[in-house]
Amino acid sequence: MLSPKDSPLGKQLEQYVCVRITRLDNIDVGLFEHDRNNAIYFYALNADEQIYLRYGGRDSASAETYLQTDSLVLALKQGLELHRRYLAGDLPKVPRAKALMPREIPLLVKRTFDNHQCVECHLVQDYQNMHRELDGTLDPLTHLYKSPDIKTLGIFLDVPQGLLVREAKGAAIAGGLQAGDRITALDGTPVYTFGDLQYRYDNVNRQAERIELTVERAAKPVKLTIDLPTRWWWTDLRFRQSSVDPRLYFEDKPLTAEDKKRLGLNPEGFASEVKYVSDFAKVMGAHELKLGDVVFGVDGVETDRLAHTAELYLKLRTRVGAEVTLDVLRGGQRIKMPLKSSRMSFRK
Amino acid sequence: MIHRIALLLALSFALAAQDEGINWLDSYPDALKLAKEQRKPLFVEFRCEA
Repeated sequence: MLSPKDSPLGKQLEQYVCVRITRLDNIDVGLFEHDRNNAIYFYALNADEQIYLRYGGRDSASAETYLQTDSLVLALKQGLELHRRYLAGDLPKVPRAKALMPREIPLLVKRTFDNHQCVECHLVQDYQNMHRELDGTLDPLTHLYKSPDIKTLGIFLDVPQGLLVREAKGAAIAGGLQAGDRITALDGTPVYTFGDLQYRYDNVNRQAERIELTVERAAKPVKLTIDLPTRWWWTDLRFRQSSVDPRLYFEDKPLTAEDKKRLGLNPEGFASEVKYVSDFAKVMGAHELKLGDVVFGVDGVETDRLAHTAELYLKLRTRVGAEVTLDVLRGGQRIKMPLKSSRMSFRK
Repeated sequence: MIHRIALLLALSFALAAQDEGINWLDSYPDALKLAKEQRKPLFVEFRCEA
């Protein structure tokens, strides 16, 4: 599928200096900072390295949910307009992000540069997280659960039209968002594309209770306050092949209040039913969980401020390689079961 | 497998951006220099080919 110069996309691209980067070795990843689990990502910026906008981003379901030619054309047009304003002195200058070169990440140097291997995009993020883990600054909510999904808030976009809202549900509709609104800013920072919105949303403090969205409605700006729902930051990590999160080799679903009551379990607890067990559980000697087991405790702990399942509790509160004891309900019997997590190799 | 398909789909999207006749540079410093000379904005594509 090619877009010749006289196509809508080609006409926009011709007005830019286009550059394609496939190796990050000598790229300032502090300036070009985005979720590295995107196979493709774009920036529009000027020669002074002021970023106008990002284009890209994804959700857990697909790498291309938000990649669409019409919205790319729209983004390129917006980039040109921002450039025109910049040249006219009509665009506020934004302080440049702190530079970070890949060679400043010691584990990346040791395991990649020194072995003459390609600096794959995701490795930058993975090794940054490994350093955070080592120095105790890894915050699972921020660093593992990256790029929260706006659909959790109830924001569904008309993707070809950029940030035009197709449908609002849940927290978004409760905050006043309407179909037909165009999102223009998050917490006061302008956003032009889904990539911008996801990047800014990812930078919201995980302890925040609300965000402010500015939308354009009937050609007028309207400010909306959206209350963030519980676990608004949660995303499915499975597509992140080499994240530093503990690999558990099982998935579960939270029990209902009725189920917990019927089984005599803590009504406030994270008791959950095992719905999937990977073959790797046996291979890795991780645990002996079976479908239908109910995990209601980890090392005697049954409740957590954030976790609503045992799986999430283990992801948030234990480190890779930890050996813990699960409290399990199997066939009406309460049993203790050891579990040891492991880490996925970063090299595919 | 699903991951691989998703990646391929994403890359096929990228092909749409590889315009016939559009000159895509592969050096960021060269692109910066050219953008400054021509007073054009830059469009930077990051593509993970690993």
